[in-house]
Amino acid sequence: MESNGLAHEVGDMCLEATDLWFAYEEGPSVLKGISLEIKVGDFVALIGQNGSGKTTLAKHFNGLLRPSRGRVLLYGEDNREHPVAHLARTVGYVFQNPDHQIFSATTREEIAFGPRNIGLEESEVQQRTEQALEYFDLTAYADHQPAILGFGLRRKVSIAAVYAMRTDVLILDEPTAGLDWKSTHELMQRIVALHRTGHTIILITHDMRLVAEYAPRCLVLRDGNILADDDTREIFRQADLLRETHIELPQICRLARRLEPFNPGRNILTVAEFLEGYGNLAERMR
Amino acid sequence: MPVGVDLYLKRQSWLHRVDPRVKLLFVGATIMILLVIKNVFFMSAALLLVHVIHWSAKMPRGKFLFIWKTLLPIAILISTLWVLFYPTGPPILEIWVIRITVLSLAQGGVLALRITTMAFVVFAWLYTTDHPAVVRSLVKLKVPYEWGLTLALALRYIPTFQGMYGMISEAQQARGLNISQGKGFRRVRALMPIFVAMVISAMRASDQLANALQARAFGASGVERTYLHDIHFRPLDWAYTVFILGVTFLILYMNLRLGFGKHPINLI
Repeated sequence: MESNGLAHEVGDMCLEATDLWFAYEEGPSVLKGISLEIKVGDFVALIGQNGSGKTTLAKHFNGLLRPSRGRVLLYGEDNREHPVAHLARTVGYVFQNPDHQIFSATTREEIAFGPRNIGLEESEVQQRTEQALEYFDLTAYADHQPAILGFGLRRKVSIAAVYAMRTDVLILDEPTAGLDWKSTHELMQRIVALHRTGHTIILITHDMRLVAEYAPRCLVLRDGNILADDDTREIFRQADLLRETHIELPQICRLARRLEPFNPGRNILTVAEFLEGYGNLAERMR
Repeated sequence: MPVGVDLYLKRQSWLHRVDPRVKLLFVGATIMILLVIKNVFFMSAALLLVHVIHWSAKMPRGKFLFIWKTLLPIAILISTLWVLFYPTGPPILEIWVIRITVLSLAQGGVLALRITTMAFVVFAWLYTTDHPAVVRSLVKLKVPYEWGLTLALALRYIPTFQGMYGMISEAQQARGLNISQGKGFRRVRALMPIFVAMVISAMRASDQLANALQARAFGASGVERTYLHDIHFRPLDWAYTVFILGVTFLILYMNLRLGFGKHPINLI
């Protein structure tokens, strides 16, 4: 499972969960028989209400949680056979709260922490660290204490720290929560760039605009079950499903729905698609 | 990892109904007795009794296990160090420079049982008294409201910090930190990324909490607080109070006058 160099081809099986059940100590089942497949190069959004099991499911992918029943295979190997520290070489996890991982005296050290843990040569660690600093525009803050940076920068540091590990799979738990539009856009562009190079991206979010714009595939969770697993465009078309899971479509999608009588057959997800489909609407209405 | 909000467990039990001031008296009196008495059999009986109290207050098994899981390593460490470094009396086993004696075993046992029993007593109070009741009981005992709330908040944050530790530990493991590596000092060093992040997060949380409290006029001068649900002593609470004070004075009297519980093995 040593796969830092993206040894697997896009389309190969990456993560496979079979009849996955999980309950926290003395609690009810949080995951109830989940089965799914995620292939190399997929960009998947996990969506659903709070408490639907999104984070719990994602923590099974890097072994932070072990199933009560069922199993998770990473590149065909059972996750239970490997400690988290080992799985961390393949599956990177960016936590919801950046303060849960920041501890070093400088941003540079913070970013170097992960690559050192996976046993890379010091020269390689330095190279990756500098690259991550540059990639996330953090070079100016390299010698600052990361704990006292602003929230947006702390968020960037937490993602850069996982990026530097160059894991095949990157799980991002609410990566844009608390970020302004510009930071969100910049961050998502970087994640898209990673996806284009063959990385598998799993995005946990409540921001349906992000899902619509970036995630081609969508998994809808409710009460520990997968309610739907399909193309985002297909999921966003299912009004009953969205109502059932209290998912509100992005404004642009709702506007496009209203305007469908003028331009039927279009299932618009993004502003760019809207402009393409309805750009000349005003003229046509005249 | 699920984060508990409070240590309090809502149950319908006799201990839940006891006035929080009586429970506070029980905690104080028991700790005093446990500090004065040095007998291993008395300590064992006290630990058994406090288990019965927990059980009769309908505490779930998981809560017992949580206390035991937390305290057992500390209790074992303390008693082992005592047995190894303070051997008194005739040895029953000698290996190289290590002398094991019956007396030191009993003394080590007393220390371990004392800390465990104290913890169970404090948790009996915390598991059965909700946060507002803790504050109200302290205010009734003439402790300033601000102090009462501060203490209650500190107790309230124990499970929060426990949850925070779990989250931080997961976040660092997800970056390849192997928390089970090495022993002794190496193990402590391996845990540093978790401890440092804990301190930073705790400081940030306390700062935010202080701001949130101030923003809601906490500490405003000249304000007398009123309570929707006040606490009142029932006749049964008076009976408990008299019983606790009676037993405490009796044990202390017997200890001072008759030497009760002064020897690690012999009761008198």
